[in-house]
Amino acid sequence: MSKRVLIVDDALFMRTMLRDIFTTAGWQVIAEAETGEQAITAYHEQQPDLVTMDLVMPEMGGIEALQAILRDAPDAAIVVCSALGQKSLILDAINSGAKDFIVKPFQSAQVLEVVERVISES
Amino acid sequence: MEIDKFRDMFLAEAAEHLESMVDILMQLDLDPQDQDGIDALFREAHSIKGMAATMEHAETTKLSHHLENRLDICRKLGRISGVEIDWLLEATDLFKLLLDDIRNNHEERCVASFIATSPKETGTSTTLDSPQRKDPLSSEGEGLLVQLQLKATVAAPGPRFLVLLKTLSKFGTIIESTPSTDELLQGNVPDQLFVRLLSDTPQEQIKQQLLRYSELQEITFPGKINKPVKSLSKSPADKTVRISTELLDHFINLTGELITNRYQLQNALKEKNWQELDDGVGQLKRLVKNLHHQVLKVRMVSLEGLTGRLSRTVHDLSRSLAKEIQLKVEGAEIELDRAIVEELTDPLVHMVRNAVDHGIESRGTVSIKAWRERDQILIQVADDGRGIDPEKIRQKALDKGFLNPSQAQTIRDYDLFQLLCRPGFSTAQEVSQTSGRGVGMDVVKTAVEHIGGILLIDSAPGEGARITLKVPLSLAIIRVLIVECNGAKMAMPISRVIQTAEIAPEEVQSSGKQLMINYHDERLPLISLRKILKYSKNVALDPIPLVITEVLGRKIGLVVDQLVGQQEVYVQRLPAPFDQIRGCSGGTILGDGQIIFLLDLQSLFERRRG
Repeated sequence: MSKRVLIVDDALFMRTMLRDIFTTAGWQVIAEAETGEQAITAYHEQQPDLVTMDLVMPEMGGIEALQAILRDAPDAAIVVCSALGQKSLILDAINSGAKDFIVKPFQSAQVLEVVERVISES
Repeated sequence: MEIDKFRDMFLAEAAEHLESMVDILMQLDLDPQDQDGIDALFREAHSIKGMAATMEHAETTKLSHHLENRLDICRKLGRISGVEIDWLLEATDLFKLLLDDIRNNHEERCVASFIATSPKETGTSTTLDSPQRKDPLSSEGEGLLVQLQLKATVAAPGPRFLVLLKTLSKFGTIIESTPSTDELLQGNVPDQLFVRLLSDTPQEQIKQQLLRYSELQEITFPGKINKPVKSLSKSPADKTVRISTELLDHFINLTGELITNRYQLQNALKEKNWQELDDGVGQLKRLVKNLHHQVLKVRMVSLEGLTGRLSRTVHDLSRSLAKEIQLKVEGAEIELDRAIVEELTDPLVHMVRNAVDHGIESRGTVSIKAWRERDQILIQVADDGRGIDPEKIRQKALDKGFLNPSQAQTIRDYDLFQLLCRPGFSTAQEVSQTSGRGVGMDVVKTAVEHIGGILLIDSAPGEGARITLKVPLSLAIIRVLIVECNGAKMAMPISRVIQTAEIAPEEVQSSGKQLMINYHDERLPLISLRKILKYSKNVALDPIPLVITEVLGRKIGLVVDQLVGQQEVYVQRLPAPFDQIRGCSGGTILGDGQIIFLLDLQSLFERRRG
């Protein structure tokens, strides 16, 4: 059965790109979210195998959403996405329980290496 | 900045202190209770610290300060442990890297992670209770040591290390890590991550998991921490030379005498006093010779620096191969041109490594002996290992088509061994299983020939192997054989010449297309220099002047038009783009103003073959 992923990013461009990478690799994108709140709701409704979470989003940011999801589902496999200049945010996210991270701009091989690894470990 | 002026001086001096630290460590390795040695080591670390602090190189200062503290403990204990010696040797490697950083105007690399790997036992009573050396692995304390290095291209190394640390923590308990999680969270970006992990999971399984991270450059499970780079090659700092004030005074005196001499000559010329002029020229000759001699002295260094490094190579290598190998050095005080010592460093390291790796099976001695014969230096690397079996080489040469069956029958052992230096004769694996030698020997030989030297191999099964290098004393001023060909004079380094001879045309035999001669009891091919240089057809000569030499591992008789004679010449490298001309390795001006070129037969033949 193909793995189910939830993509969280406020930019349509990034969501489209990730969707493309995932579907090409045989994953199923079960939902997309534009904000932290949407992400939390979508996670509870869909129970995806993996979440890619943008860290910088308007209103509720990625770290807050990540912490909220992990409170209810401590084993949730969440991979955070962030731009290169936001290393301290990435560190916070990992410290908060993100399984791994992807640095933008990313390439499909890198994304897949990270998510496949996270899935196999969880 | 004012302090920049002192940088080169600092670098040169620090490098010297490091060299002597390594030397002292090697001695302490043999006698760990040598109080004077430990004291001396302490002083070296102290000197480096003082200089580095003055120059405001914080990391170098930190490392030397740490060393000083540890050595102070050793001083009080009156002994130094084997583990400590190994660690200190690694510290000297790190110092060298730090000096490289400083030299290249880079920021100094961080030493904290290395300091964290200091052996734990030095200050404790275990050292006192156990005078015998401990196994570096067991002395390192509990747990599995994991050392991770990221590829240079990794975008966010800090977060990546944090993820790796979390991954490792799934296998058990992390006892300690450098840097720690907190340090990583504070934005510390290290070169490497060291983790001590307490885990029931087999090492291989942990490694498999880590291999899934393509960002990792290197995964090691060291018994002790390996430093990433161990470079034996010379650093640019060696380009500065320190000379004694005594020698400088000598130069000044000579200059003074030359000035007097000039007035003497001018005066003699004005007064047309030929006797005075003749005396003056005689005086000038004496002065120039003296000057030449003194200048050469500045360029001369002893082999000690090199052999010191080699004992380090033997120490490290035999330890990693679990062999008991001693290095015996004889004649390290022999001096030769610094440029030659630099050129010889890599070949000698290679030869010594070969001897340790392949020559000796479990215990034995590698000996390096240097001595001088007239204006040549001979350096011999010998081992008392199993030796090289000529029969195996013969078989292999046949298999590989280097010899045809009749050649294989008649070839002498000397020439057989030279085959080991032919490119493509052997690969590392094949030879270490068969004859046990030959790893990169072609490279060694090429390097030696590049500086006008020759390489000889001699061995017998069960009697070890001896490789002898014959090199000129100095690169700049060498003795050459001058020959003439098609009306042009050219020179060959005398060190490349085995013998000169004149033979009668009747002595030339032909074997198919190839002309041969009998030389002692060998048959040598005759090769015409005219033909190689693509001059017009050969002229009839009687007798035929010959230079017996060796090219690409083969002895040949080189036919020239005339043997002119031997002479000492000052060889100058040709400026670009002329340095690209194959077959010519430099030029010199003879006393009568003629320019002659130095023949590099090696490259001429390579071109011919290609």
